[in-house]
Amino acid sequence: MPRRNDIESILILGSGPIIIGQACEFDYSGTQAVRVLTQEGYRIVLINSNPATIMTDPEFADATYIEPITVETVEKIIEREKPDALLPTMGGQTALNTAVGLAERGILAAHGVEMIGASLPSIRMAEDRELFLAAMQRIGLDMPQGRFVRTLEEAKAAIREIGFPAIIRPSFTLGGTGGGIAYNHEEFLWKVASGLGLSPISQVLIEESILGWKEYELEVMRDRKDNVVIVCSIENFDPIGVHTGDSVTVAPAQTLTDKEYQNLRDASIRIMREIGVETGGSNVQFAVHPETGRTTVIEMNPRVSRSSALASKATGFPIAKIAAKLAVGYTLDEIANDITRVTPACFEPTIDYVVTKIPRWDFAKFPGADDTLGVQMKSVGEVMAIGRTFKESLQKALRSLEIGRHGLGADGKDAVDVTALDDAERAAFAQELRTKIATPRADRLFDLRLAMQAGIADDELHRITGIDPWFLAQVRDIVDFEAVLRGHTMPGA
Amino acid sequence: MSNPITPEILRQAKRLGFSDIQLAATLGTTAARVRALRREWGIEPVFKTVDTCAAEFEAFTPYYYSTCETENESRPSDRKKVIILGGGPNRIGQGIEFDYCCVHGVFAVKEEGREAIMVNCNPETVSTDYDIADKLYFEPLTFEDVMRIVELEQPEGVIVSFGGQTPLKLAKDLAASGVPILGTPYEGIDLAEDRERFSALLTELGIRYPAAGNARTADEAARIAGGIGYPVLLRPSYVLGGRGMQIVYSEKTLRDFVGQALEISGEHPVLIDKFLEDAMEFDVDAVCDGTEVMIGGVLQHVEEAGIHSGDSTCVMPPTLQKESLIEELKETTRRLALALGTVGLINVQYALQNDIIYVLEANPRASRTVPFISKATGVPLAKIATKVMLGRTLRELGVSEPRISGYVAVKKAVFPFIKLVGSRQFLGPEMKSTGEVMGIADTYGEAMAKSQLGSGAKLPTAGTVFLSVSQRDKRQKTLGMAQSLIDAGFTIIATRGTSTYLYENGVETRSVLKVSEGRPDIVDEIKNGHVQLIINTPAGEVSRDDETPIGIEALAHNIPYITNISAGIALLEGIKQAQHDSGGVRSIQEYVGGRKETV
Repeated sequence: MPRRNDIESILILGSGPIIIGQACEFDYSGTQAVRVLTQEGYRIVLINSNPATIMTDPEFADATYIEPITVETVEKIIEREKPDALLPTMGGQTALNTAVGLAERGILAAHGVEMIGASLPSIRMAEDRELFLAAMQRIGLDMPQGRFVRTLEEAKAAIREIGFPAIIRPSFTLGGTGGGIAYNHEEFLWKVASGLGLSPISQVLIEESILGWKEYELEVMRDRKDNVVIVCSIENFDPIGVHTGDSVTVAPAQTLTDKEYQNLRDASIRIMREIGVETGGSNVQFAVHPETGRTTVIEMNPRVSRSSALASKATGFPIAKIAAKLAVGYTLDEIANDITRVTPACFEPTIDYVVTKIPRWDFAKFPGADDTLGVQMKSVGEVMAIGRTFKESLQKALRSLEIGRHGLGADGKDAVDVTALDDAERAAFAQELRTKIATPRADRLFDLRLAMQAGIADDELHRITGIDPWFLAQVRDIVDFEAVLRGHTMPGA
Repeated sequence: MSNPITPEILRQAKRLGFSDIQLAATLGTTAARVRALRREWGIEPVFKTVDTCAAEFEAFTPYYYSTCETENESRPSDRKKVIILGGGPNRIGQGIEFDYCCVHGVFAVKEEGREAIMVNCNPETVSTDYDIADKLYFEPLTFEDVMRIVELEQPEGVIVSFGGQTPLKLAKDLAASGVPILGTPYEGIDLAEDRERFSALLTELGIRYPAAGNARTADEAARIAGGIGYPVLLRPSYVLGGRGMQIVYSEKTLRDFVGQALEISGEHPVLIDKFLEDAMEFDVDAVCDGTEVMIGGVLQHVEEAGIHSGDSTCVMPPTLQKESLIEELKETTRRLALALGTVGLINVQYALQNDIIYVLEANPRASRTVPFISKATGVPLAKIATKVMLGRTLRELGVSEPRISGYVAVKKAVFPFIKLVGSRQFLGPEMKSTGEVMGIADTYGEAMAKSQLGSGAKLPTAGTVFLSVSQRDKRQKTLGMAQSLIDAGFTIIATRGTSTYLYENGVETRSVLKVSEGRPDIVDEIKNGHVQLIINTPAGEVSRDDETPIGIEALAHNIPYITNISAGIALLEGIKQAQHDSGGVRSIQEYVGGRKETV
C-alpha cells in the first residue's frame, strides 16, 4: 500500500531538553522524520521545547511550536492546527508518554487525530510490565521472573519463588533511587521495607537477578504487510547490570553462535507481531546466560531510540526516516535504500566492519556523585568508531572520546607503569585492580589493560567482570602487541 | 633487545588501531616522527564506504571510515570543498548547540556552491546523518585522523569554529601544517584565549574588565587575591564549560582550591579574577565580516553573576531598561570583534555592576547561545557566519540586526542532579547543565512560566512559597513581591532573617529553619511536599553552601527554583496569568515571520 492520501497534516512530538538518557539522538530522528514527511507533501506541525535542535529551525516544519511538551500544551496546538495524525515515536519516552496522555484523556478522539507509527494498545503492552510479561508468555518467550508487592508479607512470598540474588526496584522513585540487589534474607527485608517507604505508591518490584548475563539489542522494523527486517544486532561489552547507555556496545553482535543469533531474530519478529508494531521500528533487548544459553527478553521500545540512532549510523540504514515512511502507509518493499538506490528497504543491511560505541561521562563536574555504573544511566554523551576489526574500532573510539587518552593506553598517560614494577609491587597492584574492576566504572577498559599487564589471566578477569572471553582476548591482543612495540625503536635510533 | 621497527610491525600496529601518539609513546619518539616514517613507508589509512550491503551493490552515499588497508574508496571530486569539523562526544559544556552550528555550516557551504564535507564521531547527531553533508567521514577528531582527510580532499579550507573546543584545539596544529583555516585566523582565537594578551588588548581599547592576575603557586595566588580583594573567581586557563572554576571568599578556601586548579590545568597558570557580586550578566553574539559587525542578539542573564553562563536563565530582549547601556554593550562587541580580527561568529560576555560594563570574556567562534538567539529572532546566525567565512560581506548578504518586538524569549537550563546522586555542589561558575528549553510568549512572565514548565517543573497556582533573601534583597521590591504572593493566595514560609524583615514590614509569614540551623528544616518541608515554589537569593559563602541541598531537592520534586527577586516577580506575573487562563501558543514562524529559506 503506498502513501496514505487520507491524511494531510501530521503533528510530530519532539523530546524536549537534553537530559541524561534522552539526548540529541532524538533531534537526529525527528529531523529525519520532518524532512522526509515534508518531502512526501504532508503539512508538518512540530512541538519541541528545545531551541538548540535542528528540527525546530523555522525552515523545516510548516508550523513549529517551541513550547513545553505537556498534554495541556499539545492539546492547545491540536485545537489550533487540527492535524489529521500524531506521530509519537520520534521523541523518545517524553513523546510517547505525552501521546498516551492525549489518547487516554480522549483528546485525540475528540479532535479526530489518528495516532500513527504506533497504536495505543501496542504502546501500553510494551510499556506496562505485566501486560508485556503476559504477551511474552503467550508467545512462549522467557522473561526474568518478577512480582510487584505492596507489603513485606507479599515480598516474603515472592522471594520464595524467585530466590536469591534478587533485584528490588521501588516503583516511580526518581532516578530509580532505593533500588538494589539482595543476596540474603536480612538484606532483602531491609531493602524491601526501604523501597516501599520511598515509592510514592508503596510498591516494589522483586525481580530475578540476571546480573552478569550477556546483553543484546536488535533493531527491528515491521510494516503493515508483516514484512520484518532486522536492521542490526548490538552486543554489550559490559554484561547485564550496566545500563545500555553506559555500556560499551558493539555492532554487529560478536560472540553469538549463528543458532543463538537466529533465535534472537525469531524472537524479535514474534515480539513485533505480538505487540502489534506494524508501521515502525522497535528496539528489543535480550539477556543470554553465558553458560546455559537461556535467553530472556528484557524489554522492547516501540519507538526510535538511542540504539536505533547508533544502528542507523552503524549500518547506513536510516531507521527514523524509514519508520516515518512506514507510518504514512509505505511498506518496506516500496522504499528504496538511498545508499544503493537499487535495493529496497526490505534488504537487511550487511556490514563488513565492526562498530564500537563508548559512552562519555562527566563525573568530575559533580564532586561527590556516585561514579559507579549500574541500572541508572549516567553518561552524558558517546562516540562511535568504525574499523575493520573490533580492535581497530575500539582504539579509534577511545581516542575519539577526548578524555586525554589516545587509544587503549600505551600513550604515556598511565598513572602507573606496570612494566616498571617489580614482582611484589605488581602482585599488590593486581590485587588492587581485582577489587577495582569488580565494580563497573568509567575507566574500567583502561583498568582491564593494566590488569592484563599485571598478570591476571583472562579466565579470572571473566570471572570478576562477566565480560565475555572473546572480548577479553581482543583486548589482550592489543595489550600483547603493545609489548611487542615496546621491544622496538625507531629505525636509526 | 630493542630492534628497529619494520614496516610489517608498523602496519600491524595501525591495523590494531594504534594512533601515532601511542606509537610515539611506545617507541620513544614523537608523533611527528612516526607520521613521517609511516609516510616514507607508505603506511597510510584508506577510506571505505558504509554501504549497507558489504560492497555487493554500488553505493551512492558518500559515507566513509578509515582503516589501514590498501584500496581507497573515497574519490575526491574536482569541486571546491570545505571541511567542517564537528564537536565530538557531547559533554557538559559542549552539547547539541555545537552540532546545530555545524549543520548550519554545512547547509551554508552547500548554498555557496561548495562541496560540504563533515567530520565527526558522535552517532547521536544530525551532522553525522549522511543525508546532511555532501560527504561524511565518521572519524575521530584528532590531528592524525583529520590530516589524513585534509590530505586526500585538499579543501579550500577547514571550519574549526563551530564544533566547540574540540576542533579549536586542533586549529594550531592544522594551521602549522599549512591547512587553511576559514574564518577568524588562529591568531585571533589565541589572542582571545590568552588572558594576559587579551587583558592587554582590552586596556589598549579602553574597555573595562574585572581586576585579575595569574598565579602558579598558592602563595602567589593569595598575594594577588589580597590585592584584588575578595571574593575572587579562580579558574584554570584553556577550558570550556568552566571546569575547575570556583568563587572564593577567603584566603583559606583559596589555598585549598589553588592546589586542585593547578592539577587540572597542568602547566597553565591559575587565573584569579575579581568576582563582581551582585552584577548582572549579558551575552552578546555577533557576526563580523572583518569590516562590519552585525549584532545577533543581546541576552540578559536572570541570575546574578556567579552562575556559569550556560546554566543561567537568559532573557531576550533584555529587561534592563537603560537603552544607553545596551547600546554600549553592542558597541563594545563591535569594537572587540574588529580588534580580534573576527571573520564569522563572536560571543562576548559582560557583567554590569553599578552601571559600569566589564568584559568577562570574548570568544571569536560559535557559542552555545547561537541556536537560542537564532530561534528567538528567526535570523540564522551560523549560516550567515559561514557565508562570511567563505568571503561574502554582510552588506552583500543584505542582513541586518534583528529586532525582537512584541514577545519575549526565555532560555532555561536543565540539570542532571537527579541522576548523578550525591553531588556536593549545586550551581556555580562551573557548568552543570545538560540541556536547555525555551519559553516564548507575549510577556516576560508567561515566557518564564513556559520555561519552567518546559524544564519539567510544575507551575504552582496555589500553595506555599519558601522565601529566603539575602541582606541586599531586603528592600521594597521584595516586600512588594511577598505581598503579591499573599494576594495571589499563596502562603509564605521564610528563613528567620527574611521572616523577621517581612514581619517588621507588615507581611505575615511562618518561619522555617535553614539547613544549618537544626531540624525540621526547609529540606524536610520540601520532602514532605509542603513547598510549591522556592525563591532563594543567596549571597556569600555560607548561603551558597546551603543552596546545594535546597536546589537539588527542588529539582527532585519539580519545584520552580528562583534565585533572583526580579525573576521571582516575573514568574509571579506568569503564575497570576495562569490562575485565570492557561495561556496561548503560537508557532515560531508566527513569532519570527514565516519560513526563512535563505539569508
